[in-house]
Amino acid sequence: MALRSGWLKVPWRRAEGQRHDPYWHFFVNTPPADRANSVVDVIRNAPEGNVFPTKADLHTPEVTASHVKEMARYLGADLVGIAKLDTDDAGHTFAIVSAVRADDDPRESQGIGGQVPVQNGLFITFVLSAWIRELGYRASMAASPDAERLAVAAKLGTLDRTGKLVTAEYGTRVHVADVIRTDLPLTAA
Amino acid sequence: MAVTPGTETQPPPYLGRSVRIVGPVANVDMNQTPHPRNSRGELGKALFNWYRNTISRDPLTRVSAPNHFADQRNFLASVVNQAPKGKVNARQVAVSDPAAMTRHIKAVARHMGADVVTVARAHPSFLYAATSPPKDSAARDVYQNRSGDVYQGRTPEQMAQRYPYIIVATTAWDYDKLQAHRHYIGDAAYHVSQMKAQVILKALEGYIKELGYAALRGMSNPQAAGLASGVGELGRNGLLIHRKFGARIHMPDPIMTDLPLVADQPVDNGVEDFCKVCRKCAINCPTNSVPFGDKVVFNGVEKYKINWLTCYKVRPYMDTHWGSCLTCATVCPFTKPNVWWRSLTVWTLSACPIPARPVLVRALKAIDDRFWGATRQTRVRWLGYDSGIKPGEQACTVAGCTAAHGTAHGAEPVGNVGYYAPLKENTNRFVKRDP
Repeated sequence: MALRSGWLKVPWRRAEGQRHDPYWHFFVNTPPADRANSVVDVIRNAPEGNVFPTKADLHTPEVTASHVKEMARYLGADLVGIAKLDTDDAGHTFAIVSAVRADDDPRESQGIGGQVPVQNGLFITFVLSAWIRELGYRASMAASPDAERLAVAAKLGTLDRTGKLVTAEYGTRVHVADVIRTDLPLTAA
Repeated sequence: MAVTPGTETQPPPYLGRSVRIVGPVANVDMNQTPHPRNSRGELGKALFNWYRNTISRDPLTRVSAPNHFADQRNFLASVVNQAPKGKVNARQVAVSDPAAMTRHIKAVARHMGADVVTVARAHPSFLYAATSPPKDSAARDVYQNRSGDVYQGRTPEQMAQRYPYIIVATTAWDYDKLQAHRHYIGDAAYHVSQMKAQVILKALEGYIKELGYAALRGMSNPQAAGLASGVGELGRNGLLIHRKFGARIHMPDPIMTDLPLVADQPVDNGVEDFCKVCRKCAINCPTNSVPFGDKVVFNGVEKYKINWLTCYKVRPYMDTHWGSCLTCATVCPFTKPNVWWRSLTVWTLSACPIPARPVLVRALKAIDDRFWGATRQTRVRWLGYDSGIKPGEQACTVAGCTAAHGTAHGAEPVGNVGYYAPLKENTNRFVKRDP
């Protein structure tokens, strides 16, 4: 995309702009006084929609997996992978793990700006899981404590000593979005 | 006798070269715009049923387009826009330098993923009239975000004085997918970026409230605010045409605020001169809704006026092929990838003295016709979709597939031609061409 835009990205320009921005610290670090002002909570608390009664005509699991990944990238995921789940996971067979680049760690920066990676991640997982439900298969997204472990299983990267995901593309500056568990026929990784 | 402050008439705003305010402008009642009228059944049964009672057969349309979902909970824009509004933070962040705050708000919107963000000075004529949206949620447009009675007895003049700035933040559609306009692939480019814009605007609205300032939605006509703040110029196709993206930008509901900002100015991209000559959108429009002739004065505004009713009426019949036509946006010569040669061309056009522009425009139009075609017929393949399959035919859409398919699938399409419903040969006879 950077190449398509025709301009080479200058890595320091944005950071330089942020350093001279007197309000950037507030944007990134001050948690919202009213949680209703945060889109993150709005999307996360939304109830899950129905599964479409008719199953869509799918191709092989390999092709479906490539379609799911392409859709996740189109929705803005920087990294996406598929991990096989243990069979006892409420009938779900696969986990779709997507990750987005995060300039600020959302676990430390609680402001609306610090939560932007979460917001981007929720946009991907909400639309992707809704799309799978409309294909006629079950899919639910949830913030799960084993998201980073599943990200490793989906070959997005490895864990460091503190349990954070380290990726080849973005290092630790990456946010693992909510994991989608689904029974869509896919292939792992 | 002294005039009550805020009720004196303001001079008409300058909206660039493409649109001129020549008479009194009545505030538009948003309940009389096309979608609300249709949801009340005023445009006939076919359109009403298409709008309110049709479930799309395309799974992606069911999660990304308004009105054609099977379950509204699977549609993100309705989740975001129907959520309760947050409160304004009582601890207001002091703004000593409005220019710094303007840079900050623009950086924030871009950080969230907006492609275009500008600030307009509010003018009473931009505002929708003081009517409330319908209570019935089914009759309510998902993209209509006004909550309750925001006017509270004030006039549009008083509102524009109290909330002097309008923030226009929006996203651009994906260029490659848009090439398959009048196809579900083009719909994906349009609808997914529209959902993204809704999320960004909701987040930006929440952030402005957290700064301690008001953020009103459903207040301003987005195109008027877009023109005044230099998002682009209004083209013959009735769309704002942006310097970098052409016509492929959304114009979602902007944010009206009392946050101290610095307003942007209208731009000159050469659209005004181009539209006088080009007429590509008018020639390609499948319903002949885009005018071939000159500008007209409507509601005190001199502009090109499309026939929205004929544009609207074709939609129920195309439901099995697409949800949004997008032809006029796709064929517009300004709609190109955002790369150096288009920047150079637009720069050349806007730097050219106005009297010399018609000659340059004719040359650019000839280049566009030569290399992109008078009618776009690009074949696009994405996921399981393939625009190389003629409407009404079936074929396997997986690239390199060697599986033996049943008789339901025809032969694999060959060539590099995309077919978009309704087929051009079926609409040519309706289109009046210039001699």
